[in-house]
Amino acid sequence: MESCDVLVVGAGFGGPVAARRCAQAGLDTIILERARVPGEKVVSGLVIPFYGFTFGPDFIREGNPPIERPICRVVNRFIRDGEIYATDSTLRVPKPLALGYAAYCRPFCTWLADRAVEAGVELRTSTTAVEPILEKGAVKGVITDRGEEIRCKVLIDAGGTQNRLAIQAGLRRKYLPEALELYMVWDFEMAKEDVDETFGLSMEFFHALPEEGIGAPLGFGSTLYIFTYRESIHPGLGQFLVTRGEIPNLARLLPRYFENFQKKVTRWKRDIAPKVKLRAVTWDVCPIYAGLIPETRNMPVYGDGILIIGDAAGFEASAFGDGVPSAWFSAELAAEVAVEAVRKGDASRDTLREYERKVWEHPYITWIITDWRRWDLRKVLVSRSEAELRRMIRDHWGVGAFRYRYSGRPLLKAAREALRRDPRAPVKWMEMFTRYYHNWEENRCDPLSTS
Amino acid sequence: MEVRTSDRFPGVEWVGDPGDFIKVDESRCDGCANCVRVCLAECFEIKGKKARVRTLAECMECAACWYVCDKEAIVFSWPPGGTGFRTDWG
Repeated sequence: MESCDVLVVGAGFGGPVAARRCAQAGLDTIILERARVPGEKVVSGLVIPFYGFTFGPDFIREGNPPIERPICRVVNRFIRDGEIYATDSTLRVPKPLALGYAAYCRPFCTWLADRAVEAGVELRTSTTAVEPILEKGAVKGVITDRGEEIRCKVLIDAGGTQNRLAIQAGLRRKYLPEALELYMVWDFEMAKEDVDETFGLSMEFFHALPEEGIGAPLGFGSTLYIFTYRESIHPGLGQFLVTRGEIPNLARLLPRYFENFQKKVTRWKRDIAPKVKLRAVTWDVCPIYAGLIPETRNMPVYGDGILIIGDAAGFEASAFGDGVPSAWFSAELAAEVAVEAVRKGDASRDTLREYERKVWEHPYITWIITDWRRWDLRKVLVSRSEAELRRMIRDHWGVGAFRYRYSGRPLLKAAREALRRDPRAPVKWMEMFTRYYHNWEENRCDPLSTS
Repeated sequence: MEVRTSDRFPGVEWVGDPGDFIKVDESRCDGCANCVRVCLAECFEIKGKKARVRTLAECMECAACWYVCDKEAIVFSWPPGGTGFRTDWG
């Protein structure tokens, strides 16, 4: 049996951020990761919105994370009878500013974990946390798949959507299928000059009513997106696990609807298909609206000896790119509380409750788990109104998303707080945008060389 | 450790022996086939009005089967460390 101050389970997007902060505070910190290499079991593809980097941890803002491509424009394409009949590309910024940055999960998680190790964290890969050690209802550590007992003063559960440890500890229940989408993701190789010519620095969404049979097939699903990477593109298609009270046949529908998309949509057939080669097919379940469903939102994010962060805590709305920043933000808050608890020698529920208070004060996490507008996107797919669809999309992935009552308010609140802490923050943000852009332009970062 | 690939799902490897990390508790299963409907890897089949694990050879550990099982008949855990699926292109 061994022990440490803080044990973090999961080296995805949040775990290494929390662990690094704890190690920097002088705590003996261990991360357990069930994969051989951090991130090789994370399947989503990602475009991280700019605000994540702007307000996220310093070491990410000031470092050189493995970014594939900056995204300066979001293009929404509306499809009827297989043809694009309207396009909304109002959301754009000039380079080197970016609306977001695209990355692959594996190199990004590896990069985060490497930074944690540099700070003194012990990373144990190929190690599955099988169950929590519970004493009088308090979490005291975990038992691994090798039968080891690792005891800790505070456990930070960064175990992702499936939420295993928190469930076993009796704190949470599995997510409702209504809150989850199954995403199927295709990765295509594409020459850099072809990505530049076809997409530039854009990512694209394709929206259609369910009758088109290329996305949102049964009424409650997300759109088809194409993330653009350095030398590849990454289309993805999601569908809720429950639609109108029934479990859809996703094994049949998801592959069929992507096939329909490839056959019907001229944009794909003419401009994209001749230039691409399929490289990978993956899928995963994402908690799109977990935080917006009261039953989930009311589940605890802390307990005696345990703090729960990121997807595991329901701070997720991946259809809008907010999952990864939420993992970082909650990781930092959890680490602050864990450090204080270890220093006080008290990791009881009363002490760790401070984490919940900090979460509810955080402008972005609060927005993600309370902004009902996101949930309302489902209604338009039922109403079958194209005008309503276009209006809603404009308010989600278009310029309307930055209205004050949507993301504008949390953005201003976070900016005001950043300025209060450091009046030079805007200069640092500009430096970050410029550095990230040049890193991409000059190919300074080779993501797959990170090991 | 042995590494397997699949023609159906390129770019993914399955490493080592993950064991039976997903099981069906037949006493709870009512044969609704929800697990069959959501599994993209065709891990389940219905035999004798009960679901059973056909193979976990192409499982991507998403747990969709576990979420949609109203009867709590799916027992889901993680495979042993370092085994199961992996990809560089997620």
